[in-house]
Amino acid sequence: MNNDRGFALMLLAPALICVIGLVGWPMAQIVTFSFVEGKGLNVLDTAGRSWGIGNYVSVLSDGETWESALTTLYYVVGSVGPAFLIGLGVALLLNQNFPLRRALRCLALLPWAAPGVLVSIIFLWLFDPSYGVVNYLLRITGISNEDIGWFTNEDTALYAVLIPSIWKSFPFFALTILGALQTIPEDLYEAADIDGANKLQAFVNVTWPGIRGPAILAIILNALWALREFDIIFATTGGGPFRVTETLGIRAYTEAFSYFELGRASTLGVLTIAFALLFVLIARRPLQKEFF
Amino acid sequence: MSALITGRELRVLLATIVVVALILFPIYWMVVTAHLPTTIVLSRVPPLLPPLAEMSFDAFGRALLRRPFLVWMGNTMIVAVGSTLLSLVIATLAGYSLSRYRSRMQEYSGLALLVSKMLPGSLIVIPFFIMASRAGMIDSRFALILANTSVGVPFATWMMKSYFDAIPREIDAAATIDGCTRLQALWHVVLPIARPGLTAAAIYLFIVAWADFVFARTLINSPDLWTLTTGLASFVGEHGVDWPGLMAAGTLSMVPIFILFVLLEPYLVSGMAAGAVK
Repeated sequence: MNNDRGFALMLLAPALICVIGLVGWPMAQIVTFSFVEGKGLNVLDTAGRSWGIGNYVSVLSDGETWESALTTLYYVVGSVGPAFLIGLGVALLLNQNFPLRRALRCLALLPWAAPGVLVSIIFLWLFDPSYGVVNYLLRITGISNEDIGWFTNEDTALYAVLIPSIWKSFPFFALTILGALQTIPEDLYEAADIDGANKLQAFVNVTWPGIRGPAILAIILNALWALREFDIIFATTGGGPFRVTETLGIRAYTEAFSYFELGRASTLGVLTIAFALLFVLIARRPLQKEFF
Repeated sequence: MSALITGRELRVLLATIVVVALILFPIYWMVVTAHLPTTIVLSRVPPLLPPLAEMSFDAFGRALLRRPFLVWMGNTMIVAVGSTLLSLVIATLAGYSLSRYRSRMQEYSGLALLVSKMLPGSLIVIPFFIMASRAGMIDSRFALILANTSVGVPFATWMMKSYFDAIPREIDAAATIDGCTRLQALWHVVLPIARPGLTAAAIYLFIVAWADFVFARTLINSPDLWTLTTGLASFVGEHGVDWPGLMAAGTLSMVPIFILFVLLEPYLVSGMAAGAVK
């Protein structure tokens, strides 16, 4: 049997090298850099390092960090919530029997495959202040006559960033829920029908128990992805205007690549990971149930 | 004679068409803008239905000629194909190992792959940048391929594992009894059966690598090596954006993904609940 174990390990080795070298090692680097004191690119200077928790003190006592944490929370809740509800609705619709179902299902789920940057430029154009079709539709329906600069206005930028995020992430929910819906046996609905259940009762007692596991898992995964979303926010607003769309992920990136404050950036990275771990810990039960 | 379509089916069909039209409106608008001249596009009253007489492919010509669009596309293709192949080989071997052998090692590795799938992304790019700078690998396509592989392997491994799980072990056993080594059994017997799974994983990896922005923007400086996403993002914030040209470039960049998605979609619907892309 020893031979077997050797073979199993041999097959696994490239993946382990990949995970250790390309995920584990970089993560260890981030933690290390977060304890290197000093400004700017000093962390790269291996000789003159001084160690300490200076970065943590500076980042945690910075009010802007907490503003970014709050923005992250708004972004996660504001994108995952609506995306889930839309995904659920689309899945319930697509699970019905009707002609052309296969083609329409494919089209409805297409936004999932669109690259984040492409989504960003499409929505920048839709929401263009002067020539965008959204402001035009608002004008002809008499809702608003202003040239709203959705992505450049402090009051609207966060909403403007949420809309493309929701558009791109709802198909994942629809896919997951659709897959789960197809595993619910038809006779459960017939039984509910015979028992005189109305549509809402059938949903609560048959549909929801059948999709709850995968749905909760999809919510958790999407929340984790939203927590570190980069492409859409960075390509549309870059975190602006006046930092209203600056999540922790964007802030870490800006600290690193605009200010070259690698120590502070790493510290923000560690805090974001801690945030995510805390979240996974809270959501441990449903995760375990689905994965293991 | 029964009707071809019941009243209820027709109602659901119509409702679905309306929903799909709403969902696809942003893509519709991109494609329409790409086919119209700037004079019509930059208007306070943009036509919701395209004036057919005015439509042309001029913007596509501009996108291809005035910008190094084909260079970006070529770079994206090299990186996406490279990281898809690399990830697929690594993930297939690992997925097979996780599916067929159960030991502590397997459990821990599975868990490590799972965690690395959830956590990194925009954060891992900071140490990646530092590692690449130290190794003199800024502006290296190979570094970009490795970065995309770090994202792809954990996903594809779980996808392949669930696919191998569905293939009975007796098939591998029979092959080894017939005199195959275990590697030959995997290559000649199991992999041909798993071909749909391999295809799905490959398409999935390709779509993810094609979309990468954060690694390409950070690890590549030289405009000659830009990918589609960095190229498209470079339009943003320009004074007087050529919207039809940009939308034409966007449309072209979406075409390969659209075709691949149509092939991948049936697998996603049946596979997601089974645990494939989790």
